[in-house]
Amino acid sequence: MISDAILFWILAFLSLSAGLTVVMIANPIYSALALVMTMVSVAGLFVTLGAYFLAGVQLIVYAGAVMVLFVMVLMLFDLKNEVYAFTQGLLTNVVKLGCLGLLAGLLAGTLVLSSYQSQEIQDKVVAAADQTKALGQLLFTQYLFGFEVLGILLLIVAIGAVALSRSRGGTHHV
Amino acid sequence: MYNLNWFSQIGLQHYLLLSSALFICGMAGVLLRKNAIVILMSIELMLNAVNISFVAFSHYQSKLEGQIMVFFVMTIAAAEAAVGLAIMVSIFKRFREVNIRFFERLKG
Repeated sequence: MISDAILFWILAFLSLSAGLTVVMIANPIYSALALVMTMVSVAGLFVTLGAYFLAGVQLIVYAGAVMVLFVMVLMLFDLKNEVYAFTQGLLTNVVKLGCLGLLAGLLAGTLVLSSYQSQEIQDKVVAAADQTKALGQLLFTQYLFGFEVLGILLLIVAIGAVALSRSRGGTHHV
Repeated sequence: MYNLNWFSQIGLQHYLLLSSALFICGMAGVLLRKNAIVILMSIELMLNAVNISFVAFSHYQSKLEGQIMVFFVMTIAAAEAAVGLAIMVSIFKRFREVNIRFFERLKG
């Protein structure tokens, strides 16, 4: 139980500080990166609540697709004050190398730990699979109408986004 | 020790507090920032905060409906980001600027 509490407080701190960074920091690129951090910690919060499938969807849809869209549009804009967005220096390089080391250590730890397959982990995987199955059944029976409406909405949005970004900017003729 | 218990036993209240704090962050971003892209990001932040409370209620009441709602919110958020960013691209083409001060007077 105490490990759950520690995990919650770490994730709460991460998501709140990243969320504040999104609002506070002047550079939009940094806000986008902080928003990615928020999304990842929200996915972690979903894991602490036992919503494993939603955590995966959160990572793929938000941290993957939506944020890539944001960053690409930001890159398109060529804002003048983004000149100092990517600093170079000894300290930042050390931080970058430290992040790489952390990632390598995390991967190695996961690989080593995954060789110990305990019964508890097996039970958790089975429970998560059951929950995902129930979620799918609910989505395709009781909430089928909403699901179909969302499909049509996404189609309309895809066409609308293409049409909007091809237009010459509305009714302002100078 | 009531205080220590509050820190070590995580319940629905904690998730709701975190959710409302994140929502307030996003709302502050929408109200305070002038960069339209950051405003869109703050809206995403608010939607995420709402998702946390949906999943928390779903977990503590042992009902899956909350998670279905999160699916819907995520889809709407993705659609909103796509349309919003398309509008931003269009506005940037026209005004060469995404600061909302420069296009606050739009005419239909």
